Parts: sequence; C-alpha cells; structure tokens
Amino acid sequence: MDFSLSEDQELFRKFVRKYLVDHEQTKIARDYIAQEVVNTKKVIAGLDELGCTQLNIPEDFDGMGLGQLDLVPIFEEYGRVLMPGVYLETSAIVVPLLKKYGTEDQKQTYLTKIANQEIRATVAWLEPGNSYAEKGIQLAATAHNGALLLNGIKTQVPDCELATHMLIPFRNEQRVTLALVPLDAQGVTVRAQENFDETRKLSEVTLSQVVVEAEQLIALNEDGFAVLTESLLTYNASLSSVIVGAMEQIVHTASEYANIREQFGQPIGRYQAIKHRLADMKLQLETARSLSYYANWAIETHSEDCSEAVYSARIFATEAFIEIAAQNIQIHGGIGFTEEIDCHLFVKRSRFYENYLGTNVDYYDRAIQALNWVGMNEAVRN
Amino acid sequence: MDFSYTVKEEAFRQELRSWLEQNLPEGWLESQQLPEDEEELGVFLRAWQKTLSDSRWAAIAWPEKHGGRDATLMEEIIYHQEMVRVKAPPLVNYVGLHMVGPTLMQIGTTEQQQKYIPKILSGEEVWCQGYSEPNAGSDLAAVQTTAVKQGDKWIINGQKIWTSFAHFADRCFLVARTSKGEKKHHGITCFLLDMNQPGVEVRPIIQMNGEHDFNEVYLNDAVAYDTEIIGQLDDGWRVTIALLMHERTGIGAQVFSLEQQFSELVSLMQNTTEDGEPLIAKADVRKRLFQLYMKQRGSLLNYYRNLTKQLKVGHPGVEGSMDKLFVSEVTKELFSEAISLQGHNGLLWKEDAVSGSNYWQTNYLYSFGQTIGGGTSEIQRNTIAERILGLPKDAGR
Repeated sequence: MDFSLSEDQELFRKFVRKYLVDHEQTKIARDYIAQEVVNTKKVIAGLDELGCTQLNIPEDFDGMGLGQLDLVPIFEEYGRVLMPGVYLETSAIVVPLLKKYGTEDQKQTYLTKIANQEIRATVAWLEPGNSYAEKGIQLAATAHNGALLLNGIKTQVPDCELATHMLIPFRNEQRVTLALVPLDAQGVTVRAQENFDETRKLSEVTLSQVVVEAEQLIALNEDGFAVLTESLLTYNASLSSVIVGAMEQIVHTASEYANIREQFGQPIGRYQAIKHRLADMKLQLETARSLSYYANWAIETHSEDCSEAVYSARIFATEAFIEIAAQNIQIHGGIGFTEEIDCHLFVKRSRFYENYLGTNVDYYDRAIQALNWVGMNEAVRN
Repeated sequence: MDFSYTVKEEAFRQELRSWLEQNLPEGWLESQQLPEDEEELGVFLRAWQKTLSDSRWAAIAWPEKHGGRDATLMEEIIYHQEMVRVKAPPLVNYVGLHMVGPTLMQIGTTEQQQKYIPKILSGEEVWCQGYSEPNAGSDLAAVQTTAVKQGDKWIINGQKIWTSFAHFADRCFLVARTSKGEKKHHGITCFLLDMNQPGVEVRPIIQMNGEHDFNEVYLNDAVAYDTEIIGQLDDGWRVTIALLMHERTGIGAQVFSLEQQFSELVSLMQNTTEDGEPLIAKADVRKRLFQLYMKQRGSLLNYYRNLTKQLKVGHPGVEGSMDKLFVSEVTKELFSEAISLQGHNGLLWKEDAVSGSNYWQTNYLYSFGQTIGGGTSEIQRNTIAERILGLPKDAGR
C-alpha cells in the first residue's frame, strides 16, 4: 500500500514551484489580464524548458515518456498560481488522443512539435446556442478536391493567444470528426470575447472556407464523439489536479491571513467561527486531493473503475473549489472583496471550470451511468 | 502509487477469512442477531472473544509473547476489512485489547502485566475506561473525581459518564485527581480499579435508539491500592495520553463500515419498490446516492493517504483527526439520507420497517453519537485548525 506521489514526482514539483514563485505566482495571471501576453509566453517557455510539456510525450517524439500521474504535481502547481494557457487542452486532451489514435505520421509531426513547443493546442468545441452534447456539434464540412472545407462558428475557445492550433470537432457526412487546425490558417478569424474570468480568455472563432487535409484528421476510423468523450477522462483527471493546487493555495493564504489579522486584540484565527470554517476547507481540499490522486492512478493503470473515479474527482473538486473560494473571501472580510487581493481570481477560475468541457449536470449523469447500478431505468442507461 | 497487497498480506487475509468462516457463531453469516437479553449478550460476547483469543485473533497487534501476532499495520487494516465484511460481533473487551493492554505493556509494572494482560486477552476480565465526567467531556483535564490516601488505601469518590461496556466490566482504567496541580492537567493519577466492589455503582444510559452501550459509574468510597496505580502518582496525564495514542486503527473500521453501509444503501434502493418501480429508478435518488458515493470514496482514500504516511513515519499523525471528522460526519449523512430516501416507509420501526429490521432507523439514531464520541467534531476541527493549519489556540486553553 502506497497512496502517495513518488519522490521523483515530488522533486519535479519543487522545480516547478520554485520557478513559479520566482515569477511571483499570480502575477503571471495578472500580467495576462493586463494583456502582457509576451510575459505570459516567456513564463510558459520557461516551464517548457523544465520539461513540463514534454513530460507525457513518448521519448520517440522528443518527450520524456512519463504518464498521467507524473502530470499531477505539475498541474497542482499550475493551479496554485492560476496559470493561464492551454496546458490542460494540450497535455491532457490532445497529447493522450494523439498517443492513442494518431497515425505514425501524425505522432511524428504533432507530438514532436508539441514537445518542441512549436505547437500548443486549444479546443474549439462549443457552437453558439449549443451544448457540449453530440447534437451540439453542427459545424459541417464539405468535400473539396480531396480535402474538406470548414464553415461555421465556434465559441468560447480558450486562450487562442497562447495557442497555435485548435482541436475542432465538426460533422463530416453526419459523423462527428476531429481535426487539428492551425489558428493562423487561411479563413480563421478570432474575435476576443469579454470574459468573466480574465485569467482565461475566451474567443469566438469563425471558420470560412478553411481547408482541412486528410493528415489533419485525428482518429478518422473511430466514432469522433466517443473519442472526444474518452479524452475527457484524462482532461478531468488533470483538471482535478489543477483545482487541488488552487484549493491548496486558498487554504494556505486564508490560514495565513487568519493568523495575522487582529480584531478585538487577537488574531481572528483564534475564533472558532473562523477556525472551524478553515478546518472544513482543509478537509474539502484533502478529500479533493485523494479523489484526484486516485483518478489519475486509475487512468495510468487502466483500472476498471476509471470512469467513476474520474467523474467523482471532477465533480467533487469543481464543487469544492467554488465553495472554498467563496469562503476565502468571507474569511478575508472587506479586503477580500477588493480587486487588489487575489481572492476574486480564485472565485472566477472556479466558475470557469464548473461548466467548461461539460457541465456538472452532464457529469453527474455520466458518473451514474458508469456506476451502472442494477435497477436503473433502461432509459437512463441508453 | 500502489494499492496492491503483498503475497504475505494476501495469505494473512485468506487465513483469517477461512478461520472466520469456520468459527463465527452459528448462522452468523446469514443474519447477525445478537441476544436481546443483556445477560445473555454478555455471555455471548465473552464467548466470542474467547474463541478469537484461543486462536490468537483477538489482539493481533500485540507481541507474540502476550498472545498476539506482532501484526503489521497493514495486517491490522486487513483484519478490520475482514471483520467488517462478515459484520463480526463486537469485541466486548475493546477497551482492554486496544487501549489498556498496550498501555500496560508500555508503562505497567511486571506484576501488573502478569496479573491483567492474560485475562484481558481471554475476555475473562472486561475493561472499561473511566475518563469522561459530567463536567469533563472534551475537556478531560477538568476531572473532579478524587482519590485520597487513607492508610494503604486510596478512597475514590466521584462520577464517571459515557462509560462503554461498564455494565460488563470487571475493571476500569480510571482517571482521578490526587492533588491540586499548578496547571489543571497536573495532579492526575490513573488507577486500575476493581469494578466488583460495593463502592462502585453502574447505572445504564439508554440511548435515543433504545439501546444500551453507555453507563454512568458512581464512585462512593471505592477502594484502590498502590499496586493499582499505573505510571507515577500525579503524573497520570502522560498515561492518559499514552493510552489514547494506542487506539491507532480504530478509524479504519469505521471507514470500512461506511463503505459497506453505502453499498447496502444502494441495495436498499434497488430492492425497495414504489408503484412497482425500484426507488433507484428515480433520478433524484441516484444523484443523492452518487453524492454519498463521492464522499464515501473520499473518506476511504483520505484514510489510505494517511495510512501511507503512517507506514512511512512509523506512528499515527494528527491527520487522524481529519479522518475521524469526515467519516463520522459522512456516516451521519448517509443514514440521514437512508431514512429520507425510503420516503414515508422510513417512519416504520423493527419488523415493520422496509428492510424487515430497524437497521437503518436504529443506525440513523445511533449516528448522532458518532460526531460526539471519541472527540466531538468541534474538537476535531480545533485540532485540524491548530495543529495542521497552525492557527492560534483558544484563549481558554
């Protein structure tokens, strides 16, 4: 029995943490809010020098050949500082998808380029007025000289400024199909949307006569939507790690504040009203962490209970994040309500994740289906 | 990360499992019926402990020379898992086996060890723990029971409360004040008190579920001797803490029970029908079950993480307070949901209840005690805040 990260994994965490502390933690996100994208890109390049993006790419393609669990400490550290960027989309969706379904050529091209920081991929899934469900994918391709032409609009595509490509689901002869399309391809226009969480910038992407060649199509012989859904397992396991990191930072700063802020001649942390709130926050953090570690372990080992493990981690973590981010403001009192203090950044990020790449309502349904309790209606199971 | 068990651990599990199959009370696997009559219950439970101890299954963590198996922490975990799996009868001498015995081995004199330990193991002498008092619950150092020296005797007066198994007990691990110390945890002494004497009166406390686990113990000129003092005179605080530290895997049993109770709740929702449909066909029921599922898994996995740490550092850490808080709160929630999800049927009791027994109803009522006994949830939260998060202590302490 050993339910902990390995020494190597913890060592990697130390490097990443030191690097992010040296860059003043949430200042990275604040620079991004202030449109200082050059700075953000510099920080990301530095993380790549540490090997963060190469980590789960096979050695044959210039990666480090490590797995899902090795991403855990890195993503926790990213979450701690509310790191902007498409690391989840790239490392937890596109890379696992290419590893499993990419052709040899695609692996050679895309994985190598991702490892060498030439490609960073975001995900362009949602369409205006539609949901993340299969029927929500309506953008249709037409055939053109042996290639495909895409026309339509994708919305709420994150961090296009920090990405080079987008993974885009669309319909080709009714079937959901996936492609990797460069954001600077002919016919792609990106319009920045106004954002509630400015540490992640969403954009509307319009595609007009965008040419997609056969070699850009991923998992061509598979059911595209099923592949997409499968990739949400690695995504959500990694997402739960990011959230755990953010929650850890919240509990840390809230405890620190409760220790120094004095009222009626004593630190507010001496009052049980504060103490008990913080103890409950700590418990939520550690429970999210346990579920998250297990989810990532379940993916790495192809455990039978992988789906329910991942959905549990996702739902618990997103809900707990929202809750303790709110508690954090209450503990900080008036100062917590100001723009100056980071509390609000955590609240906003918590709302970003809640319904991104699937709503929690969807995930409850999926989790219950995965548990497949006998006696549920046939209608539920289908 | 590695959740597997070693070959040796699996062999241990198999050995215990087959022993249980052959030695559990007759018919136990089919239905777990304890005698209702208290006297019969006492006989039944003592017999069960004797059966366990005869095969060295009563106190596996004890050294072999005292009749244990020198079990590793992992073997203890497996032991709890297997005992929960067959819903084994409770250990009537839980206090003796898990707390008093190990404390005697650590602090007791050779004479005390020889006199008490074999009888603790066999169940011949059942022990209770005389800590809590009406005015010293969570605040143990506030004990008011006094022990005054008269000649070669200590005369003990006072009242203990919430004393589990006192109605079966032959001896009590008693905390009493022997002098007025500079601080309130000074001047306390621990006695190994004989319960079978005129100065000791046990009165039952009937719980809200109608059962009787706890007692009040009145001490009216009860007598103890110097040989029945454990540790040093006036230095009992250290002994009380040592005793509490020995309860190292108690939470594990609760965590494994919660896991089992959850799957029983799923079965209940599958097997109970309304208008011809199982309750689990309702979307709301499934969602609420899943919310419990996440917490129950969280409780188990938190426990495994803390266990991992314990295996590495060699002793239990303060994280145990998080496990205790979470497992007791989730258990309470689970039984509350179990009543709620049964709908109007949740109001029936005993053989009229949905499952043919009042298992859910009585455990629901019992669960209120779980966030109080063994350190209230409030105390656990204080511990977490002060010792894990580094917040300042309450002004009063």
